[in-house]
Amino acid sequence: MSQKISRRDLLKSTAFLGTTAFLASQAPSALGHLQALAAGQGQGGEYELAKAENVIYGVCLQCNTQCTLKGKILDGVLVKVDGNAYSPQSLLPPMAYNTDPQVAARVDGKLCPKGQSTIQTQYDPYRIRKVLKRAGPRGSNKWEVIAFDQAIKEIVNGGKLFGHLGEDRQVPGFKEVLVTKDAGVFKSLAGDAAKVAKKEMTPEQFKEAHKDHLNLLIDPDHPDLGVKNNQFVFQAGRIEPGRADFSKRFVINSLGSNNWYEHTTICEQSHHVAFKWFTADYSGGSWNPGPNHLKPDYLNARFIIFWGTGAFEANFGPTPMAEQVTRSAQERGMKIAVVDPRFSKTAAKAQIWVPVKPGDGDLALAMGMIRWIIESNRYDARFLENANKAAASADGEKNWSNAAWLVKLDQDGKPGALLRASEVGLSLPDRDPKHLFVVSQNGKLLAVDPKDDKNAVEGDLLAEVTVKDVRAKTAFQILKEAAGEKSLEQYADLAGIKAQAIIDLAREFTSYGKLAAIDFYRGGVQHTNGYYTGQAIIALNLLIGNFDWRGGLSGGGGSWAALGGKAHQPFDLGKMHPGKIPAFGVKMTREAAYYDKSTLFSGFPAKRPWYPFTTDVYQEIIPAIGAEYPYPAKILWLHKGTPALATPAGSAQIKILMDTKKVPLFIATDIVIGETSMYADYLFPDISYVERWAFLGSPPSTTVKTVKIRQPIASPVPEMVKVGGEEMPISMEAVFLAISERLSLPGYGAGGFGPGWDFKRPEDYYLKAVANIAAGDSPSDTVPAADSKEMGIFLAARKHLPKGVFSEAAWKAAVGSENWARAIYVLNRGGRFEDFSKAYSGDYLGHPISRLLNLYVEPVAVTKDSITGINYSGVARHVPIQHSDGKPVAYGQDYPLRLITFKEIFGGQSRTAGNYWAQNALLPENFLLMHPSDATRLGIRDGDLVRVKSPTNPEGAIDLGNGHKDYVQGRARLTETMRPGVVAASWHYGHWAYGARDVVVNGKVVKGDHRRGTGLCTNPVLLLDGYTKTTSLTDPIGGSASFYDTAVKVERVG
Amino acid sequence: MEEKHQPEQAPELVKESRRQVIKNLGIGAALLGAGALLHSGQVRAEGSSPAATAQPAGPKARVPALPDSNWQNNVLRMQRELQQALKKKTGRAPWVMVIDRQKCVGCLSCTVACKAENALPPGVVYRPVLEEEVGQYPNVARVFTPRPCMHCDNPPCVQVCPVGATYKRPDGIVAIDYDQCIGCRYCLAACPYDARSFDFGDYYTKGTPELQPYELVPNHEYGKHWSRSDGSPVGNARKCTFCIHRVEEGILPACVTTCIGGATYFGDASLEGGLVRELISSGKTFRLKEELGAAPRVYYLS
Repeated sequence: MSQKISRRDLLKSTAFLGTTAFLASQAPSALGHLQALAAGQGQGGEYELAKAENVIYGVCLQCNTQCTLKGKILDGVLVKVDGNAYSPQSLLPPMAYNTDPQVAARVDGKLCPKGQSTIQTQYDPYRIRKVLKRAGPRGSNKWEVIAFDQAIKEIVNGGKLFGHLGEDRQVPGFKEVLVTKDAGVFKSLAGDAAKVAKKEMTPEQFKEAHKDHLNLLIDPDHPDLGVKNNQFVFQAGRIEPGRADFSKRFVINSLGSNNWYEHTTICEQSHHVAFKWFTADYSGGSWNPGPNHLKPDYLNARFIIFWGTGAFEANFGPTPMAEQVTRSAQERGMKIAVVDPRFSKTAAKAQIWVPVKPGDGDLALAMGMIRWIIESNRYDARFLENANKAAASADGEKNWSNAAWLVKLDQDGKPGALLRASEVGLSLPDRDPKHLFVVSQNGKLLAVDPKDDKNAVEGDLLAEVTVKDVRAKTAFQILKEAAGEKSLEQYADLAGIKAQAIIDLAREFTSYGKLAAIDFYRGGVQHTNGYYTGQAIIALNLLIGNFDWRGGLSGGGGSWAALGGKAHQPFDLGKMHPGKIPAFGVKMTREAAYYDKSTLFSGFPAKRPWYPFTTDVYQEIIPAIGAEYPYPAKILWLHKGTPALATPAGSAQIKILMDTKKVPLFIATDIVIGETSMYADYLFPDISYVERWAFLGSPPSTTVKTVKIRQPIASPVPEMVKVGGEEMPISMEAVFLAISERLSLPGYGAGGFGPGWDFKRPEDYYLKAVANIAAGDSPSDTVPAADSKEMGIFLAARKHLPKGVFSEAAWKAAVGSENWARAIYVLNRGGRFEDFSKAYSGDYLGHPISRLLNLYVEPVAVTKDSITGINYSGVARHVPIQHSDGKPVAYGQDYPLRLITFKEIFGGQSRTAGNYWAQNALLPENFLLMHPSDATRLGIRDGDLVRVKSPTNPEGAIDLGNGHKDYVQGRARLTETMRPGVVAASWHYGHWAYGARDVVVNGKVVKGDHRRGTGLCTNPVLLLDGYTKTTSLTDPIGGSASFYDTAVKVERVG
Repeated sequence: MEEKHQPEQAPELVKESRRQVIKNLGIGAALLGAGALLHSGQVRAEGSSPAATAQPAGPKARVPALPDSNWQNNVLRMQRELQQALKKKTGRAPWVMVIDRQKCVGCLSCTVACKAENALPPGVVYRPVLEEEVGQYPNVARVFTPRPCMHCDNPPCVQVCPVGATYKRPDGIVAIDYDQCIGCRYCLAACPYDARSFDFGDYYTKGTPELQPYELVPNHEYGKHWSRSDGSPVGNARKCTFCIHRVEEGILPACVTTCIGGATYFGDASLEGGLVRELISSGKTFRLKEELGAAPRVYYLS
């Protein structure tokens, strides 16, 4: 029965792409040792995994919760991963920060099943080890292995790179895109381009002033588009803090392109955008976005609503949150409600389940709750009346809001800008009345300085005033009227529930004082009205005044400044950049930019939407390149991303990627040949999250201060190469360093950080951040230096790492000997973690956000949509699901079901298909979940193969190009846990690449693994926007791609 | 991409077999009875009136907090208590495990952590989590039941082993001596909890471009090194060991430390003031298929 594996088996197996990487190059002793152990089979062996010398701490990245982890190494192999017991994200409360690493090595923290499967992401047999250059048309999956240096030379110099494949075209290289690296030129062009956009300078004046540099611009008639460097587009899927900073330095400040992106709009961006404008600070006449993520204090709340999210799957995230929720519920009697069309695992622990209808149901439910709470006087008026900091303090509140501030109305009574004191003749001593606001107190108008901490000002919540020719209403009054636009019954109808359910949920929510909170993340906001849904849910939290209260809403514990900047911190990384380029110009996605304030403005509608309030409009990057709006691109670099799979309606993305005219050079960095990187011209192997560096804080469910350090734990699978004489694994970082060397980019090489500080290796950057973290916030906040015992552990734990990854001399040089021992102290613990006693201060959270909260978001209210030309709303209000031209999405009889997605906790979008212990073993294929009543109507039985089709994808297919097509189909599972009329699929199956597909390398077939391609991914059938035609439905304010607004039909196959 | 293969975890998402397993375990009846929904306090708000707790106060009043949760780190406490128990010269009771199903969130982290800790091959699962879905929309419930080896005091598996390879240790562990096991699989059939599987010698990455090192490193079961590249435990019956190789080092089983819901407890039930003792003496525990008389050492709460 048994299938024995011999040494010959091991070595004969065709290692992917040319090397037996693991056995031959990384752990030379491993095989011998394994055999020696086998010879002594069943002999006593000590438990090596509990020794600090075999442990390196790092950070998971199977999802963005990025839990702190502990890697255990046995004979050079990373064999087990657990949670880091020093970290509150893994163990609550954690072990004391000064715990001896030998003691901590014997305590394992928590990890979810994805994290536990880390080893299989690391040792994935489909990992790429060398650079691949395509050897056929894009997407043909034919490759040749080429030397790293050759690849760098080709992408830098460009030329007829694919002539041998019959492509008679000159491919642009980085040399061509880098038209200037003169920071002074950038600065001068940027300054005057802004003046042209503001009409303070005419285009003619600009052309005259910059006549020597006009050839640098994308379009001299539109200088605000920036210089041609912007034609390099860097699109990252998942790029976390630390690595994001590293890449921005290269893309923005050394190569001078403004087109740096990450993926947030396909995740939950409208949630972030709603929060960051709700918490925006007003100073010096402008609004500056505030914290973008708050979470309930689960340890002390009495009632929690999980809205379109949960504590035990996805979210941000289960490992830190789950025990807080289960123990609060079981040991303290905390109650839980879940709003979700699917009965999730969180719903399984809830007292109330509200199976809301997808689409605009979330927003309808929230507006209905607001309406009932206001009408029933169940809001915290005392809190809301506080118009400035002093008033809040007098009431024992940490925050104050603009609920009582007056908003000006136009002739039609439509709210616009906030009323300024200067407009009604009010003032305060020593303050500019243009930057003061106004409240009405028993009919008397008072000026408000939001930050005044001496003179308390309170205002009436419900008021409408007319002064001279100015009409104004309070923000609260406007919200009340917005909520009153529909009756409870109408809201209930939209939400697909009974009006009584709205009332019951609202009553329950307002029955616990400040000890209740709503958590929301993706489900509520990945709609075209996602921003408003976010605003409505945050407004509900505001109505009970729960911000910063123990048991209320928490901004999290914050983190130490890794990039430096504090006086005693050793490295100010932002400034240590000689010749730093200030890139400028409208981005491909027109994000963070106003159409009607650009030189491209020629009346409404714009050619494609502009997104002034958001960033990282991921789904629009490639379509914008395809539309050449606002300008054509030359080089696209896709990093750790897979838009063809992960964005809605991926066929449209693939079509553009295959067009060599629209995307002349397409390079990618990835650990495996992915669904989108398979279309690249050059594919560079990247290093995994246990092979590399990063630094980042914790999500707000962690209420104490943290910085997590990702550091190399495992020997890298990719090939080691020399860059500028330095050995390192091929990786995103290595490609940056190699390009920088060839183009002599500012901020790299000898003296790259300034005199005496070279930037030649990745850790030259990352370790400086570690030194900053070790230095802390003040001289008294510094961590201890590692003693000789800890130094010994540090070195012993890294004995398996090749010199190109770990060299004591190189690491020490990166921070300077004076910072070295303290850096080791931090690295030996995987970061820095505040003592848990700092989580609370009396009745408050220990790290309050303490700020103005904007029930009325002025900057949004005064902005016109770039397509419709109509102003957005300053408060949440119900709007239907719309195309970008404002036309409501039509839902007809032909497509009777609504489609949603979710994630099993063992799945993470696109990167868990090779987790054989987890995703593959636990659920070999996913299902289309549907209620039996729907299935019966459609003649579908449990287990039937079904295909999903939508109005913009009536075939239910994804066109992969080159004659290949995949269908959106999988097996039906009938379940009572689905709301009738709604179908759901977990979103981490349905791969057509990532090891699921055969590829040809150097003429040899590398067989794909069918286990990795099972099930269905429903993203391809999600609706395209009716106006742009090539991008999914999108929230114009928050930027979120719509994932939950599509109606589908489901048909049995065969 | 349409080939269908069965989940290793087995039961939980394949409806019929799941039901069957639950039924076999004798927990289905309790769940299907009126008790389950009421016990978990499930109230559905699709239109029925959720008996919202009649808290008269609106947000203006500051509602008192619930009594403080005496929040302590159970993992650290249990590990401390484990070390105390190991120091006992005499009187240490056999190890027990307690699983609180109200806190089990069905994440399957224990299932995977166990795979990793013990370097388990395809088809060998020591600690699945069974899931049952009951009720009708919108009055539904999902119940998760982790199911390790029960380490019975009267183990049916021991009785059927023809070579004495499966035996009960004084510390309560039902162990398999891999060197003795002849792979007859009688014990697989005898276990009323379906807690044993057979090691057919397969590898997850066999047939891929390269067999991966994590499948070849030795594991530490029973405090010894076992490498699957040569003989046992390939061809043997396999099952949960309560991670005795960790326990004897004073470290909790992997399923306990990784449990994100804080649902799994482990220790010496005789330890004065110990958490496990506290839970077992709460009077709220039960054991699966108690009527069979196997006397499992795994207790469930709720």
